[in-house]
Amino acid sequence: MRPARRHPLRVGLVCPYSFDMPGGVQYHVRDLAEALLDRGHQVSVLAPASEDTPLPDYAVGAGRAVPIHYNGSVARLSFGPLAAARVRKWLAAGEFDVLHLHEPVTPSLGMLALWIADGPIVGTFHSSMNRSRSLQLAYPLVRQSLEKVSARIAVSEDARRTLVEHLGGDAVVIPNGVYVDRFTGAARDERWSGTPDRPTIAFLGRLDEPRKGLPVLLEAVPAVLAVHPGARFLVAGRGDFGPDDAAAMLGPHAPAVEFVGGVSDEEKARLLASADVYCAPQTGGESFGIVLVEAMSAGTPVVASDLGAFSRVLDDGAAGVLFRAGDSADLATTLLRVLDDAGLRRRVVAAGRDVVRRYDWPQVCDRILTVYEMAIAGHRTPVGEDPTSQRRLWRGRADA
Amino acid sequence: MRWTETALAVGVVLLLVLWVVWVDASRLDRLHRRVDASRGVLDAQLLRRATAAAELATSGLLDPVSSIVVGEAAWAALSAGGPVPSPAAVSGELRQVLAADLAPRTRTAPPDLDRGQVESDLTAALRVALADPQETGALSADPAGGSLLADLSSAWYRVQLARRFHNDAVAQTRAARRGLLVRLLRLAGSASEPVTFEVDDEWPDGLPREAPSA
Repeated sequence: MRPARRHPLRVGLVCPYSFDMPGGVQYHVRDLAEALLDRGHQVSVLAPASEDTPLPDYAVGAGRAVPIHYNGSVARLSFGPLAAARVRKWLAAGEFDVLHLHEPVTPSLGMLALWIADGPIVGTFHSSMNRSRSLQLAYPLVRQSLEKVSARIAVSEDARRTLVEHLGGDAVVIPNGVYVDRFTGAARDERWSGTPDRPTIAFLGRLDEPRKGLPVLLEAVPAVLAVHPGARFLVAGRGDFGPDDAAAMLGPHAPAVEFVGGVSDEEKARLLASADVYCAPQTGGESFGIVLVEAMSAGTPVVASDLGAFSRVLDDGAAGVLFRAGDSADLATTLLRVLDDAGLRRRVVAAGRDVVRRYDWPQVCDRILTVYEMAIAGHRTPVGEDPTSQRRLWRGRADA
Repeated sequence: MRWTETALAVGVVLLLVLWVVWVDASRLDRLHRRVDASRGVLDAQLLRRATAAAELATSGLLDPVSSIVVGEAAWAALSAGGPVPSPAAVSGELRQVLAADLAPRTRTAPPDLDRGQVESDLTAALRVALADPQETGALSADPAGGSLLADLSSAWYRVQLARRFHNDAVAQTRAARRGLLVRLLRLAGSASEPVTFEVDDEWPDGLPREAPSA
């Protein structure tokens, strides 16, 4: 029905972060690649990866990312002439109709590819920009490179706002995708299923990163146990925090907290489907909240802190119940309200099922394909090499 | 006779001891001064190297990502080097942005910021950006690029030399401070124990060596 879909597209995706250490952006790139492949398009993903990291067959490694102290923390970045040569080779071999870069403002592979390539280029901005990002725009060639992005996508309203603030112009908001079916269809797991006497409350996230909010949840535990002495708190995720720390914090209440450890994608879906309540006590720094969408897809009522990004995903509290961020007493009251009110649970779960449809990968993929179509329509030629990025033509261009 | 002989002997021994103490004290003083001087030379060369790196990063001759990573590392090194250098080394819009960025940074940065770590970070960034001899060969052929690389190479080589000379002076001073007499009489006084300067200064594969005649 759309003219651009008559023949399969050749899509090049560039991921700035290493596949050695998977994170949100890496998962997004992987899922998008698979959603595009499902539609019969040809996809190649370029990402930093060590030689010995197993990659899916549609992905090409761009070499090891170098750990560098950058902006106060150690970042794993891919840059320099050797990485540039790999990008050139990949572009030449791919003959892409459209190039889709992720996080082109991060000094890594995406920015490098942007400098080297020309033609229909789409950029997705995942995180909100901070001060150091705006500083980067002052470096030569960075701003000019960014002007080559013919269509910008922001994954959330927050990401769009900071993008506009720093770069001017505008961007279309297309949220991160979730394979809703994988969560809706997930089987319940007896280990994690609640009973009327022993309801289960699930947490997912880094255990030792305070902004993920585990301490906020743990401090709410005694008040919940006072009403539901059998309640179980299922804590999933990695980090330097364990039963001993919980015991030090909670004393006799500590046995109510069960550490599940790191979970695979499949286990995560089963955990969310089994729990009576999913709790997201994050205290800040979230630009989206994909796991809330996953919990809603699994049909589990969500109790989340009232961060801007979370209340937007939860439709201002219609599709989940919000509490004051960082306030353990309010969290305990809210958890008890949700545990004791079956009608409320049914209402938010039903609203959640509506909300998640707009995050479902087939839908998200459609919207991204429309953006590709627009980017391609604005160019006469497919993706090629930008001649100005070749050394022999550099002279006299430095002051431009 | 006996009495005068004894007095003479005691006098001679006393003079001898005084002379030894004086020799030790002045040797220690000389060594401490040598450490200070060699550290000054090292700091000057580190500053030269960071300035050359900042100029290279802002020249537009590197790819944009290398520019950012090297530029930020060079800037961290420049602002860690004690008195803040004037950002005259970099040009135009960037200078303004960096100058605006500098004020809060110098306020918040701990005064004893690990200088060796900051310089090693700069080394790591440059080693990636200048990893390819073919690429830097082309860069050298450009008149502006050639002189920037020559500056960097000259400063880098001198950093390597200055660090070794400095650490040599430190090692000798520390050995001297361990002497019995020095410890017994606290000849080192209030001078603090010098420490070696540890930094990764391994040469990038693609950075041309300075011509020996230059």
